[in-house]
Amino acid sequence: MASQLPPLPTTVIGSYSMPAWLERAKNDFLQRKVSRHDLDEMYDAGRKAAIKDQETAGIDIISDGELHRDNMIDYFAERIPGVLIDHGSKRLYYDFYDSVVRSKLATGSLGLLEEVRFLKKFSQRPSKISVSGPHALVKRIRNAFYPSEEAFALDLARVMNFEVRELVREGATHIQIDEPYYSGFPEDLPWAIKAVNALVDGVSAHVTLHICYGNRYGKPSFEGTYRYLFPQVLEANVQALSLEFARRGEDDLQLFKEFKVPFTLAMGVVDVKTNDVEPAGLIADRIRRALGVIPAERLMINPDCGLVHLPRDIAFNKLSAMAEGARMVREGLK
Amino acid sequence: MIIQRNYSPSALPKGTDVAELTSRIIGPLTLLIERSGIDQDNALGLRVHLDWIQYKTCFRDPVVVRRAVDQQEQPLPLSEIAIDLRQAATPKFEEYLTAAVESLKGIPASNGQDPFVLDTFKPWRESIIWPFNRLFWQQLGDWEAYAKRGFEAALPSGGSDANHPDAVKEGVVEFWELLHDLDKRGQLPHDIYAMEIGVGSGARARLWLDQFQTFDTEKGTGYYPRLKFLLGDYSPSTLDTALAAVGPHAPLCSVIPIDATNPFKVLSFLRFKILFVHLTNVYDNLTFDEIARRDNQLYIVEVRPYVSAANAEKIQAEFGFDRAQLPGAIKRLLAYGPESVGEHEKGMAFWTRIWDVLRLEERLRAIDEGDDSHLPKGVSRSPLDDVLSEVPHDIRFHLSRGAAESFVNTAALLHPRGYLQVQDIFVTSIKDYVHGFRGPGKLDGSFVTWVNGAFLHAVGARAGYHVNFAPFTHRKGSKTQVLYTKRRD
Repeated sequence: MASQLPPLPTTVIGSYSMPAWLERAKNDFLQRKVSRHDLDEMYDAGRKAAIKDQETAGIDIISDGELHRDNMIDYFAERIPGVLIDHGSKRLYYDFYDSVVRSKLATGSLGLLEEVRFLKKFSQRPSKISVSGPHALVKRIRNAFYPSEEAFALDLARVMNFEVRELVREGATHIQIDEPYYSGFPEDLPWAIKAVNALVDGVSAHVTLHICYGNRYGKPSFEGTYRYLFPQVLEANVQALSLEFARRGEDDLQLFKEFKVPFTLAMGVVDVKTNDVEPAGLIADRIRRALGVIPAERLMINPDCGLVHLPRDIAFNKLSAMAEGARMVREGLK
Repeated sequence: MIIQRNYSPSALPKGTDVAELTSRIIGPLTLLIERSGIDQDNALGLRVHLDWIQYKTCFRDPVVVRRAVDQQEQPLPLSEIAIDLRQAATPKFEEYLTAAVESLKGIPASNGQDPFVLDTFKPWRESIIWPFNRLFWQQLGDWEAYAKRGFEAALPSGGSDANHPDAVKEGVVEFWELLHDLDKRGQLPHDIYAMEIGVGSGARARLWLDQFQTFDTEKGTGYYPRLKFLLGDYSPSTLDTALAAVGPHAPLCSVIPIDATNPFKVLSFLRFKILFVHLTNVYDNLTFDEIARRDNQLYIVEVRPYVSAANAEKIQAEFGFDRAQLPGAIKRLLAYGPESVGEHEKGMAFWTRIWDVLRLEERLRAIDEGDDSHLPKGVSRSPLDDVLSEVPHDIRFHLSRGAAESFVNTAALLHPRGYLQVQDIFVTSIKDYVHGFRGPGKLDGSFVTWVNGAFLHAVGARAGYHVNFAPFTHRKGSKTQVLYTKRRD
């Protein structure tokens, strides 16, 4: 973790509140009513505002809000050389394109470096780039070439590894791999972890593996407990595990004790599926309960998942409360 | 003059010579207009809407005039005459036609007796039909006793599609299959929550529980004892009846007094936990508005209740009121029930009589593009925009506010694999609004309105659900459709 960070550093999962006007513009773009140039200008304005909101709320490690991403799949599917996209297959930006792989993926730039440059240009804060994990992509991109999901995932990881290394070369210090589908397909875990390791091979940054229960349309895709992750997840070559606890309760914290988990826990302390803003005191209590299991130097603080579905004022207030809750607990650590 | 035909001839009763009927009306109407001295600009822009209103009773006279106003209620140069062809044979039809044309010039009714107006213009959602509706459901027993028949007998089919055993069985099997699939994956929650909203007599819930228990026992899966079945209705006395009706299943059931438009309010502790929610004929009795688009301008339909002068006189004579006392009597009836008007029989007679003669005058009020107050709570403008992008320039349709709110606030309770099923009368394609009148019509002391399924489809898409409709196939000739949800990936 970068040395300038305070104890219990706060961060986001990636996405920030999507303004309704930008949603409309994205949908209009799909119907050719808005030009690429105009949409890009709107993205820039939205991303700058997202950065400013996070800084004002007191977040230590920020993102660009990911407002230029349609969703966690299409943004990557469109960039990975060899994935074929049917651009007429969706009317609403948040839907998924029909995408398919019919031949071996080529190695090439995914164009993510712009995100690092943008963040460096408009903020002095440490920042994070989120990358959808190979398992998530395999579950959404139709495979018409590889002999197995595992083979597909490993080759995706190979292609993406090249880009992630470039991100670090460009200055990225925090990388997050998003894997929201593990919880629905626990049987995939052995090869899914292998793919994560291929993706982060040789990546010299702080890597977080974010595993949630899904957040499509602000709703979970699955239910259950994180017990299925263990012990296989311990084989992941990452520094931190990001798990959701605010919505689901903190019972699964005990798994960290039971399995002597060596990772930092990036703990979800803000429920992103409700507009109710948790008071800072409640968030502080959640953090304190985690400290009963995990030492402070291995604890990071973040929302359960991305903030994309929350209204902007709610997202901002939630982040502010989270930063304040972390500050309250830090006071007690002195 | 622009003539607009708002019905599909194929939907009319066999043998209806609609061409002959129409020509019999349009001829005299044209003469009346030409000779009336109406301003030429108004005459040119006058729209004549020909409807065929299926309901035996509704809120419209055979001929009505609609005017348009701007947001400040100032007149706009847009007027409509709406004619119900179904009532064209009524003896005083020509009088209605003449009065309508005269009223376009601002001339009072030719007999000097203006209708007795009971309230100001308001959107449907705030109109007088809601207190009448509330009173009906609160005092359903009294109404049924007075009418000497049960409410379900008033339904066009003579009964509800809610309790068809084959349909219930189909639903039970579908639900069991979901549970079984979750079970195989080790993802079946210990407590299996299911809910019926608008449980009514409890007959359907009983049937469902009987069949689920039997099916589960046959399969030996042991899901039935894990069931937590929620009986939801807004009326506590209805819930008592329903709980008694489920009999031996009562230990698995909880009764929840619930506002159908916002189940989440009282059940937020079950967020993402309920696996199945069912409603029958609830959406068609929830608040709605009507939106009209004319020449690319959106209008909200506002209504004003009235009783014709002749009917008002008869009621005054029959019940011993003078004219000034009538509004107060109606107000008391709606606030305190029939006994507030007199002894029970008299009160019931007054209630049924007033409801029978109650009519609603309509007008179109322009909507400010920046005003979202007509939108359902919790629903953004986007679904309405989606719907409007698909409709013809001139259309009038329901904005099913209550149904949309209910949908959104029920979906928030659903388990990731949970689903919602709604049996009701849906307009599944927005274009179908140009092919026929979709309500409201009176149904006993209540009313019924078709539900804008196309709007719900758009609302569902924005909330993360595919909303599909299938015809109810278990009764021949049924107009019921079944709304199914499926999570969007």
